[in-house]
Amino acid sequence: MMRPVRRFVLSAVPGVASAVPLALATGVLAAGPAPAAGVASAPPSLPGAVVAGSAFDDDADLPAHADDVVDYTLHATLDPIAHTVHGEGTISWRNASARPVRELWLHLYLNAFKNERSAFLRERVGGRGSDTPEDWGFIDVRRLALHDAGAAPVDLWPGAELHRPGDEDETDARVPLPRDVAPGETIALDVVFDDKLPIVIERTGYRDTFHMVGQWFPKIARLEADGTFAHFPFHHLAEFYADFGSYDVTLDVPEAYVVGATGALVESRVAAGRRIERHTQSDVHDFAWTAWDRWQAARERIGAVDVTLLYPPGFAHLAERELATLRFALPYFSSRYGRYPYPVLTVAHPQEDVGEAGGMEYPTFITSGGSWLTPPEVLAPEIVTIHELGHQWFYGMVATHELAWPFLDEGINQFAEVDGMAAWRGEGTALNLAGLTVSDAAINAVTSNFGVHDEPVAQPANAFTSGANYGRLVYARTASLLETMARVYGREAVLRALGRYARRFRFAHPGPPELLSVFGEVLGARAADTIRTALFDKGWVDYVVDGVWTERARRPAGVFDREAAADGGASGATSAAPSRERIEPGEAQGGQWENAVAIRRRGTLSFPVDVELTLADGTTRRERWDGEGEYKRISWTGPVALRGVVVDPDDRVMIDYNLENNRGSVAGEGGGAPRTLERATYVMQLALQAIAP
Amino acid sequence: MNDYRAAMAAPEDFAEGTRRSGDLVLVTNGAMCARRHPWAIVGLWAWQSALALLASGPAASLVGSAYGRDPRGDGALWDAGGHALLDMLWHDAHGISVLGRATALALAVALVAGLVPLAALMVAMAYASRDRRPAGLVRSVAAALRAFGAFAVLLFVFGVAEALVAGAGVGAAKVTELATHASLGEASAQLVAGAAGALFLVGASTVGVAHDLARAAVVRFQVSGLRGARMGARAFAAAPVRMWWSWAWRAGAAAAPVAAVAAAATGMGGRGGVALVLLAVLHQAVVVSRVALRASWLGRALRSVDATLKYPA
Repeated sequence: MMRPVRRFVLSAVPGVASAVPLALATGVLAAGPAPAAGVASAPPSLPGAVVAGSAFDDDADLPAHADDVVDYTLHATLDPIAHTVHGEGTISWRNASARPVRELWLHLYLNAFKNERSAFLRERVGGRGSDTPEDWGFIDVRRLALHDAGAAPVDLWPGAELHRPGDEDETDARVPLPRDVAPGETIALDVVFDDKLPIVIERTGYRDTFHMVGQWFPKIARLEADGTFAHFPFHHLAEFYADFGSYDVTLDVPEAYVVGATGALVESRVAAGRRIERHTQSDVHDFAWTAWDRWQAARERIGAVDVTLLYPPGFAHLAERELATLRFALPYFSSRYGRYPYPVLTVAHPQEDVGEAGGMEYPTFITSGGSWLTPPEVLAPEIVTIHELGHQWFYGMVATHELAWPFLDEGINQFAEVDGMAAWRGEGTALNLAGLTVSDAAINAVTSNFGVHDEPVAQPANAFTSGANYGRLVYARTASLLETMARVYGREAVLRALGRYARRFRFAHPGPPELLSVFGEVLGARAADTIRTALFDKGWVDYVVDGVWTERARRPAGVFDREAAADGGASGATSAAPSRERIEPGEAQGGQWENAVAIRRRGTLSFPVDVELTLADGTTRRERWDGEGEYKRISWTGPVALRGVVVDPDDRVMIDYNLENNRGSVAGEGGGAPRTLERATYVMQLALQAIAP
Repeated sequence: MNDYRAAMAAPEDFAEGTRRSGDLVLVTNGAMCARRHPWAIVGLWAWQSALALLASGPAASLVGSAYGRDPRGDGALWDAGGHALLDMLWHDAHGISVLGRATALALAVALVAGLVPLAALMVAMAYASRDRRPAGLVRSVAAALRAFGAFAVLLFVFGVAEALVAGAGVGAAKVTELATHASLGEASAQLVAGAAGALFLVGASTVGVAHDLARAAVVRFQVSGLRGARMGARAFAAAPVRMWWSWAWRAGAAAAPVAAVAAAATGMGGRGGVALVLLAVLHQAVVVSRVALRASWLGRALRSVDATLKYPA
């Protein structure tokens, strides 16, 4: 989802904040980080060092399908008046771990909106989803029956534990099983449930006839290889982590309604005033849908993908902008991170009164957002669209644990967004107005420095002390770090690393070690260590011009003994007394200038940087500092005086904490602020004419 | 030389010679126009420029302290991508906040103090010296200072009226959107709401036109603010469409050079040197042209009240 605005403090999961850095202190390429208490253990999919291999630099070795662990076959009936969904169907689930399982954990995330004692509503962190719902939402499971061959179905639901002692949250249910499910064994469950949708909150719910239906069915938590379930309540800042599988969902809505959903539409009919659509999709880990009687639809085939864009009346121009975004981004992301494997993609653009439904990702189904009045100079719709599309890779196919490692999901994807927008639109990727361009990368870079000293990037979502810091660090810091790596070490190298990671771990559940291993492999140990420090140790950097000097080269003053004009002692006399030369202070030396600059590197990160020296004759020359050490002095004597210096003139180190101190001049030689004075005066003149005629 | 009237229009002024207007006499109706008083236009531009320079100086100083040490100066703030600009907005947020408040205060002071040069411009257009020479700076300002009280009353009365109409427009737009949202959908509902709000904006602009006519009445007839307000309303009522259009085309014309030069500034970006000088010249040309158009309208207002109204008994 797009970055939220957060303001309240979250209670961290005990032990998480301390456990993660400690575990990683031994080296990122050793073992995976310690699991977060209350959070599923970090996926041990590939323990130890991982070599992704150059084979994954193209699509030749892409896995064709995910390991199909859980299949849902559901029939959902929408009542648009009562805003309810009646669901029933079957769940086929396989124990993909190496150990027998005697319980199931079900995520009932619609209960996040049931009352103010849910974990979600207790963690009000600001931004969307933080207000008390205008109408409550919840899910009632009516039946969850185990089908054993040759035996009558056994309803497991009466024995379910909906919440833990002392905690009224009902989003994470434990269901005891009557027997062990052996490793590799598949069980079948009948399920019947009823949803009451809330007024749209945090991407799900209704308003009037609009319905966005996400987190709407009982969903089995992911089972890790060690036989533990990665179950957790619906937290305000994170919710996704599940096994791959196939979804076969039949949606039953009023005839006048238009449906958008995960997966391909394989069957559609109208009967008795109802529209019945069947959507199927394999190799995914979630299913969401929308139904509204006002959706307009634009359809286009982009490459091998049938794209449907749903938009409200009057939003056709925005739909076209978003389609244009997809025309670029679908092939671009496919080339960078592996081909998009699904036959369909649906984008729904909700109008502003249901804005909380916007900016969200589900497999093959994303939501964008923005006012129909958004001018073309403001690229917010494009950014939201490209961001949510990027999630098809970083969340969808590379199915990381969003709660445990949100930076692997939102952070990596934020970089994909920044890189994609820059590749498409150049520097004006957020604003391009009246000569002023503001890039998505710059916004992220500045935002990323807000909370850099507060807490690490790499920690569980619910360990962040505020939602604001979550946004700054998980989204912006990760993206800006990778953008810095791309500008310093080469964009192609960074994209090759990310592409290798995305392809190698397609349809898998990697963790930080896998990511860092690939970066080490492609960019080298120093780069990987920089990333590790930045993510796990609050790494930061600030280059500072410490001093700039220039002065006429002078002969050293004082009294100097000079060798006498020796005759080689041929005279046989004692050595001639040396002549003495007295040089007065300030005596010039041939019109030369002695120039020097001193540069300091503060912080725990280091990057090689250019140092641009501007001379008094207007020429410039560059020196390279490898960034090692904390101090660098550059001095030389030459025919031209030094005027000033700029560290990192090409703006490569995007996470530099303060750009103002990257520059310096000898006294009186700075460029001042003439442009600001001119424009500010003009603007003030216009303002005076407007308000004080 | 028949531009000058034989006598002042105000009987008491005529009777007492210079009691209220010094040595000034009213010019003929046709002579009340801006193009005959270029120096008055320059004077108002100079006033605005001096104030603007004073108000923008601290902003330039702030930026100078942040980027003045760069060999390119503040050119980095215009670099593609805006990284330095955003970084400065963050690091200097407190200073910028103070600047914002100080600027708001400066504009508030200018709103009131600016009545004097405005009145002086109108006096310069409406009056001449007894020797049929332009009124001149000193006499125009002196007369403007005498009209300041009346202008201030008008500013309050019409300012409140304009705010009320504009506020009603915002309310009407919101109510319209709420009422039509369900039936029309968001985009259409907001379009209709915008149209409803625009009607009120036109209403607010008519109040502004009446405001200027009232100012013209104060200058022309040397009456109090409240009496000037009534006279301005009467002058507007006499030819509302013609008056509004006379103002509106000039207001529209004044917006055009702003847009045109904004496009030019886009091309120039953050360049310094000659390009910056050229941009400054273009910007000042825009400001002067806007002052001239404003003066043109005020001359039209003076002629209108002069032709329409009689001196109140």
